[in-house]
Amino acid sequence: MDSKKRYGFVIDVSRCIDCRACQVACSVENSVPMDQTRIWVQDLGVKGEFPNLERTFVPYNCMHCEHPPCIEVCVSGATYKDQNTGLVLVDQQACIGCGFCVDACPYNARYLDKRRGVVDKCNACLPRVERGQQPACVATCVGGSRMFGDLNDTQSDASITLKNARSVARLDYEANGHDTDPNIYYINAPSMAGLELPGDSRQPLVTQSGFLPRDPQYSLAEQGWKKVLTPLLFAGIGASFLVQAVYFTKQLIEGENEFEE
Amino acid sequence: MSYKTIPLEERRRLREKKYKKHNLANILTHWFNVGMWLLLLPTGIAIISSPRLGLSPVWWQEMFRNLFGNTANLIHFHYTLGLIWTFVLTFNILLGFRKYFVPFAATRMLLDKDDLNWLRIKPLQMLGFMKDKPLPPQDAYNAGQKLYMYVVILGTVGIMVSGIVMTYNAVFPPWMKQWAQPLHWVSVFAIVAGLIIHVYMGAVFPEEKEAFFSMFSGKVSAWYARAHHEKWYWLKVKEELQWEEQVAQEVEEAGQTKIVEGRKTVAERKLTVKPTAVD
Repeated sequence: MDSKKRYGFVIDVSRCIDCRACQVACSVENSVPMDQTRIWVQDLGVKGEFPNLERTFVPYNCMHCEHPPCIEVCVSGATYKDQNTGLVLVDQQACIGCGFCVDACPYNARYLDKRRGVVDKCNACLPRVERGQQPACVATCVGGSRMFGDLNDTQSDASITLKNARSVARLDYEANGHDTDPNIYYINAPSMAGLELPGDSRQPLVTQSGFLPRDPQYSLAEQGWKKVLTPLLFAGIGASFLVQAVYFTKQLIEGENEFEE
Repeated sequence: MSYKTIPLEERRRLREKKYKKHNLANILTHWFNVGMWLLLLPTGIAIISSPRLGLSPVWWQEMFRNLFGNTANLIHFHYTLGLIWTFVLTFNILLGFRKYFVPFAATRMLLDKDDLNWLRIKPLQMLGFMKDKPLPPQDAYNAGQKLYMYVVILGTVGIMVSGIVMTYNAVFPPWMKQWAQPLHWVSVFAIVAGLIIHVYMGAVFPEEKEAFFSMFSGKVSAWYARAHHEKWYWLKVKEELQWEEQVAQEVEEAGQTKIVEGRKTVAERKLTVKPTAVD
């Protein structure tokens, strides 16, 4: 999808200290329920041998993918990729909270808000961004780990930081006909975290379980409909239309008579 | 077919004579339903935008989203109308349950042996076989109409129930909202498959022209009834004869009481309005 802007996150992994201030700021800014969170920090654990130890924390939120698997399952278009900003958004006025997209997201970046019966996720604090502010998580990040900006604009802070990074990695999901092409760029990961690749690589590179993107899941209600019912219904409607068309053509050719019975 | 032997004079009389087929409740509910379908079906198709389903063209989706401003407005329009539709139909059925619905279901919907034969012969005739074989006589609705009636009733209930689940999304659990979606469209498309035939037969097909106008006036000619709904026609004739007999009896009784009592009865006062009936 082409968009005028391509907002994305550049996250300096070496700067994250797992303070989770971003999580608090996000919850406050977006009124996220206490038992849910839009963003989180993944602890990759302690790596290496004493005394050369590393511990890496990976901040996580919606990847605002270029080709999001969540959008193609949404039946009403309540979740969509915004053409102007490139962000993946949910119109909660249109969402009924069926959860197809929650199952489909390879990053578990979505959750069901049971109280309101809708799906909720990171919207990059769009109201703040529209006012020229940074998203809450970025504004509050004490270590300057999180950065946000227009990745199409080569002069934005995020783009410049990305260009000067020692290493760049993305959690791309490329399988089963999908290529998510995520817009979170993890930079400067310590070598032992397994996040490092030279240059701008498009390959997924983390091997820790629970951190790699998972396969999109499709419930029976979603799949069964597509594979069985759609062809059946089209066949039914097609046959019905055909019968009607044949008789109508016949009627047109033969003409009408008022006293015909 | 049997009605082809009816002589000209009798045919003329039959064409003039009218029988009432639909009551006002049915007519109004039918046209209310038509209006609602005309609004709900296009907006509903426009809502379904998942590319994995591919059920509606993109230009259609975009046209309606532009028309309503955004997806949320389109959906709100759809379910507000849907709730009105659900409420009115439910209200009508409950209100007319004893007077209209029960007699309708009991006399016009049940399939009998003739209907089953009709279902065996008619499809083959439509394909061009067994053209000379006579069709069994039909009730007020023929077997095809009866079958479709069941599809419509089940489908309508399915649409209403699943629609309510999706409208009140804060109340129902996700698994219900997931299954409500295929249920909603299966019901809609099952009805639409028959609807194409229904609209064609009702509004365009020359032999059924009377059926179309009867949906406004409620009446069909005796000739049409005789040719298309023979069993119902004879039922009407029987009802008419019974009425005539009853009137004759009333007149007779009224005459006797007059002699015995020597003063006017209620029955007699009624009869003075129609003096021709006295003879």
